[in-house]
Amino acid sequence: MRKTAVIANVMRKEWLLILRTPNNIFFVTMVPVLVTVQFLFYIWLALRLAGADIIMDTVLAGAVDRFFSSFEAAASGTLDPEQKLLVFFFGLFPLYGLLIPCLVSLSFATFGIVEEKMTKTLEPLLATPVRTSDLLLGKALAALVPAAVMSFICAGIFLLGTVVMGKGPLIGIVITPRWWIFLFVLSPLFSLLTFMLGVAGSARAADVKSAQNFAVLVVLPILGFVVLQVLGVLMFSPLTLLLLAAALVCLNLIMLRISVRIFKRETILTAWK
Amino acid sequence: MNNAIEAVGLTKRFGEIPAVEDLCFSVGRGEILGLLGPNGAGKTTTARLLAGMMAPTSGYAEVLGMKSDRDPETLHRSIGLLTETPGFYERMTALENLLYFAGFYDIDGRTQARRYLVLLGLWEKKDQKVSGFSKGMRHKLALARALLHEPEILFLDEPTAGLDPEAAQEVRSLIRGLNERGRTVFLSTHNLEEAEQLCNRVALIRTNLILVDSVENLRKNVSGERIEIVLENEGAEIARTLRVLPFVRTLSVTDRILVVETKKGSADTPELIKRIVDSGGRILSVKERSQSLEDLYLILIRNETGKNDA
Repeated sequence: MRKTAVIANVMRKEWLLILRTPNNIFFVTMVPVLVTVQFLFYIWLALRLAGADIIMDTVLAGAVDRFFSSFEAAASGTLDPEQKLLVFFFGLFPLYGLLIPCLVSLSFATFGIVEEKMTKTLEPLLATPVRTSDLLLGKALAALVPAAVMSFICAGIFLLGTVVMGKGPLIGIVITPRWWIFLFVLSPLFSLLTFMLGVAGSARAADVKSAQNFAVLVVLPILGFVVLQVLGVLMFSPLTLLLLAAALVCLNLIMLRISVRIFKRETILTAWK
Repeated sequence: MNNAIEAVGLTKRFGEIPAVEDLCFSVGRGEILGLLGPNGAGKTTTARLLAGMMAPTSGYAEVLGMKSDRDPETLHRSIGLLTETPGFYERMTALENLLYFAGFYDIDGRTQARRYLVLLGLWEKKDQKVSGFSKGMRHKLALARALLHEPEILFLDEPTAGLDPEAAQEVRSLIRGLNERGRTVFLSTHNLEEAEQLCNRVALIRTNLILVDSVENLRKNVSGERIEIVLENEGAEIARTLRVLPFVRTLSVTDRILVVETKKGSADTPELIKRIVDSGGRILSVKERSQSLEDLYLILIRNETGKNDA
């Protein structure tokens, strides 16, 4: 049996089941959109309620300066304080947007594995010739594809939102190589990492909710990075992002080994509750 | 290679606790072997070890000439497994479930799924979601799933548990039919009547293997025949007299009926009747009763418990 056919078989089944579960469709499609819209809404709200001048009187001023001195020096001279602030906020989106592939992957991982536990389908499944690695890869890819698609859709919604806000001309400054690294390198890597953590969490969990609680561990560092960048403590240059990507590749490989170990037939039959 | 399954010193421990210990038995090709034992005796563990779902702590099992834990994926192409509580993807239809599992084998999934859904009377329900299936339908669907890839050996764990008599009979007929077409069946069951009906041999385990033999040999070797004597008068007093006789192995009395198991079976009957008459018993009828597998099972388990207690 060709490996690709086995993986495609697993992916098809995962999608079929997700599509037949309204809660999951909502979680996979609407939650990422809400996350994106919410981001734009808070920026709009901050500017409407406080105004750029007041915000720039806070700790953010230093962060904005560091942001521009780090990456966007060429553009900073021509921008007024509000535009600077907007570019700074918009520049946070790719980092904040990493939550999207994580949420989608998490949903697939926990649903895909806890559901198998709850319906007792793992034993007959593991009695087929499917290899653990192929099964996990099929499940991971089933999560990765919608996670990537939703990341792209949400990036599009975000850009559209900036245009609706009348800030379209700033987009050219915001979209830099960092954007593409976030979108095409970090997003899939975080998606895989969340999936593996979801597998690890699901192994011990009796239901989807407890599994998701465990995998929330991956969301916390992302939020931490966002806060550190808002405070100007941490600025991600393309180089640091690529280093982060390399670290994520290593972490993913380690998690893959752990997941395959967790997913051993005997472990599932004897240790999974 | 005549044996489909060969277990040699097969042992599985979970920590310090032995689930099965030093099992040695074989199952010939085309044979139905029934695995019997009380709850917690290690029946499911044995089936899982043989099916390559677990690695033994020591010893080994060879299934179709392959070490069961060495390359389970290859082994799984040739075996089918029916678990006691067969799980399905509830939101998928019967056909979708079968096609998904068929997708892991080199087979024409649609043709095979259709074949077994028709054979098991589920074709009309093929587009219904499994969540609406009765227990009987689920068992049949699980059997279809286990058979999709035409396995040489079937591992069946309580295949008729919880089914109504009609559905259970259908499943038994199907198992018999499969065996007649050359399939080897490893049947783990609590249902002794089922084992008696289906199995060429039975293996009795309680962590260790107690014995493996045909039901006929068990009857001959484990115990003599039983004699049922119906009296006109009360049997309790007469039973007391009979119990001390050296050739009486077991004796039970219910009102006016005595059931006696003697060492030499029917050869002891004349002497037994004489003793009853001498003790004042007025006999209405005497009937020889061969023991059911259930009787033998209980004797063996009781003997084993006695040994362990000693």
